[in-house]
Amino acid sequence: MSTTRRDEELSWGPREAHTVLHHDTPRRSGPDKVRGAALYSHDRRLPGLCYGVLVHARAGVGPVEVDLAPALALPGVLTGLQLREEVSFLGQAVAAVAAETPEQAADAARAVVVALDESGGWSLTPEAALAAGAAQVTRRGNVSGPDEDGDAEAVAKALERADFVVEAEYRVPVQHHMCLEPHGVVCDYRGGDTATVYASTQVAFGIPGSAAEALGLDASKVRCIVHHMGGGFGSKFSMDTPGRAACLLAKALGRPVHVFNDRAQEFLSAGNRSGSIQRVRAGATKDGKLSAYAVEIDRLGGVGRGAGNPAPYAYRAGATHVATRSIRTHTDSSRAMRAPGHPQGSYVTESVVDELCYGLGLDLLEFRKQNLPEGTWHRQLERVAREIGWYEHPHRTAPGRGDGWTAEGIGFGVSMWGGGGHDGAECAVRIAKDGSVTSSMGVQDLGTGVRTLVAMIAAEELGLRAQDVEPRIGDTDLPPGVGSGGSVTTGSISPAVKVAAHEARLAFAAHVAPVLGCPAERVTFAGGKVFDAQTPDRGLTWRDACATLPGEGLSGYGKWRADLQGSGVHGAQAARVRVDLMTGHVQVLKMVCCQDSGLVLNPLTWRSQVNGAMIQGLGQALLEERVLDQDLGIALNAQLQDYKIPGCLEIPELVALIDEGDTREVPIGVGEPPVIPGPGAIANAVHNACGVRVRSLPITPDKLLDGLAALRAGGATR
Amino acid sequence: MKRPPRPQARTSEASPTLSRRTFLKGAGGVAASGVLAREALANAEPSGPPRADAEVLEGPVEVEFALNGVATKVTVEPRTTLLNALRVHLETPHTGAKEVCDRGTCGACTVLLDDEPIYACMTLAVRAHGRSVRTVEGLASGDELTAVQREMVASDGMMCGFCTPGFVMSMTACLEKNPDATEQELREACRGNLCRCGTYPHVFEAGMRVARGGAR
Ligand code: FES
Ligand code: FES
Repeated sequence: MSTTRRDEELSWGPREAHTVLHHDTPRRSGPDKVRGAALYSHDRRLPGLCYGVLVHARAGVGPVEVDLAPALALPGVLTGLQLREEVSFLGQAVAAVAAETPEQAADAARAVVVALDESGGWSLTPEAALAAGAAQVTRRGNVSGPDEDGDAEAVAKALERADFVVEAEYRVPVQHHMCLEPHGVVCDYRGGDTATVYASTQVAFGIPGSAAEALGLDASKVRCIVHHMGGGFGSKFSMDTPGRAACLLAKALGRPVHVFNDRAQEFLSAGNRSGSIQRVRAGATKDGKLSAYAVEIDRLGGVGRGAGNPAPYAYRAGATHVATRSIRTHTDSSRAMRAPGHPQGSYVTESVVDELCYGLGLDLLEFRKQNLPEGTWHRQLERVAREIGWYEHPHRTAPGRGDGWTAEGIGFGVSMWGGGGHDGAECAVRIAKDGSVTSSMGVQDLGTGVRTLVAMIAAEELGLRAQDVEPRIGDTDLPPGVGSGGSVTTGSISPAVKVAAHEARLAFAAHVAPVLGCPAERVTFAGGKVFDAQTPDRGLTWRDACATLPGEGLSGYGKWRADLQGSGVHGAQAARVRVDLMTGHVQVLKMVCCQDSGLVLNPLTWRSQVNGAMIQGLGQALLEERVLDQDLGIALNAQLQDYKIPGCLEIPELVALIDEGDTREVPIGVGEPPVIPGPGAIANAVHNACGVRVRSLPITPDKLLDGLAALRAGGATR
Repeated sequence: MKRPPRPQARTSEASPTLSRRTFLKGAGGVAASGVLAREALANAEPSGPPRADAEVLEGPVEVEFALNGVATKVTVEPRTTLLNALRVHLETPHTGAKEVCDRGTCGACTVLLDDEPIYACMTLAVRAHGRSVRTVEGLASGDELTAVQREMVASDGMMCGFCTPGFVMSMTACLEKNPDATEQELREACRGNLCRCGTYPHVFEAGMRVARGGAR
């Protein structure tokens, strides 16, 4: 069939040839977002809307009894329901109430009596979970594993022969996603057999099924709308407890209901990045070879397993052995969070690499290159090293000694990720007789700029400007999208949009060829014109060409194709910090990222993502940590005033570089990889500056001051 | 820097300030009763002297303010925040200001009260009585964006955009007062705003383009 033949010819072409793609293009949602006109699910206001609030126990875990009666007696309160009979992790919601106003609903939530049977105790911390007689988190106990990989004997031999050995325990605490828009939905159900659910989700097409189940409807009768959403970072792959509660309350009331977590609930029950404890034994030889790397990893994923931590990350070691177990605690399960497991693995490996270099007096950059596969990472490391001022830096083989008032240091880290797409995304491109073009796919935009891509790709194919194409996204009534996680969105949606626009273009060419008096193959779409390739100065404007279309216009439909996207990305980062040796305060001065990701479709939003990822890495390095009190059974910082994320005054100079050495002419996702190397690079920069190795994140002034005191007392570099 | 507006009303106990927190404590219980000076409604003078004979307010109260220049009335409980008044209780809800922390830490709810940036989640709606409230919806005239808004779009000063209205308001307030603000001054002005997506460098770039360009 001719379409097959034509499809085979389809490619993105050389990046220099693009007029829309690979050019900075302001995001389409921009004007709405700066005017407050972008409607998020949390902003939905519907006739008859009422407000639901979740109720959670403030402390402890165990069986619960819930008395809703006092709440139901309050003014404005409409209904309530118990969600579960057992609190299985700290802060898990047990009930929901709905009222006419949010104030009344909050009153009702406070009035619900939650009686928790605490007699079983709890295990909130890994230490508590491992203690004799610990409260059991699962029926099979608090520890699963270890799973082992590698050759312990070879490691032992290599360590014997190593010229320097590092033996140390590293700790990475639980980090929160801290999406600004909380998890939740507005469920628009008014009786009958259809419903619309406005969800803050990373997977619009995953919502109707679960909403329908809660509503007792047919999944095909439930529509999900996500026109804008306020951040997910991996935590929004289901409609969660607030979503289920909203549907159940709406079902009971026959009225639309708004249920979102409050901020404390976000911290306690909306997922997190798993923590880890890593006990490392690693060795290197004088000639700069990483000869052995053995690590025992405790994954801290709450009631879940936690993410795996790659070790020794991207590095090749002569011998490796990795033993991983999960320690369960009575805390919310970890979820995917931007490059799950990788920052934990990277931070520890990069730290150990620097410790080995200092032990042997080796150059930090050269050692990395020697133990990383040739090619991409070498090029990227050299690039970031130049940009950060490494070659002029005094401490390349030994750290600063911690004397004086302040000290500057540099650190490095690398990243690896997939970023390829997968089947499932479909797109419809429609050209109307009046010249307007729509590009439609139901996929959600988490803030990565997907909406803009859906327009840009079609515009490029049709010879238009990005603003000439109207993107329609975030709606399950549109052609299916994919879930946005693991950096798959770009690789999944781009081929479908490309194919759809290409089909529309072919149909348009066939239609307009007789008008132009040339064969369809010669019809060219460029610069807002439609013309015969042989007479480029004649032809029709886009509008005039469209006017020749039949009343219904024409359209093209596209599905994902593997050959129109790629996978496999690498990055390198360097950080420069200044340590105040009197106060222990660390200021990150500059971060540089060099990242490949194939054909960068929109460099402007690409830079936003890369810069944003570096900032999240900075937060993990210096600020973020969940703190729990095992004795009281409570969380100590489950509010934004107590859990610090980077703010205006912590932001360094940021440089996001597209790795020009990557010549792949296919798009690849970039959401995850730039979040990976930051913690390792910053921790290394701190050590490089002042000689103190802080082996637990975040690197706070108290830890640094302890380390400096030990250093001055002649102790080890701890 | 953000700070709550000066109190224009006091309880009969004459507590020196009436923050949301002390109010909630004072209100006790969970019921929707309210305590507030009716004086707040009578006294349109923003910084009028406190009066010891203030009354206690209960039940629904009508608050009038100029919302983006338009005289607006809203009926709320005395304990209702300005943020909820805007987002929920107005006849035409204004959802540009966002609720993120509801505790004065993120700035997503930033609006201008008499041209001063404030946290709308930490301000009672009755405090806005007789005053001017500007929200992100009121900046542009039609499709014509302000310079801050235009440059935010051009510099990609947003990703998910949930923090964006707050940044736009803080930056607008800063640049209205100090058209030649330095980047450090812009950072100080926005230090009460948090962004999880990490758009800060793009936001500062936008602000500096406005400050340097002088176009407002
Ligand atoms: S919602 Fe008001 S400061 Fe966060
Ligand atoms: S753009 Fe997402 S929080 Fe700022």
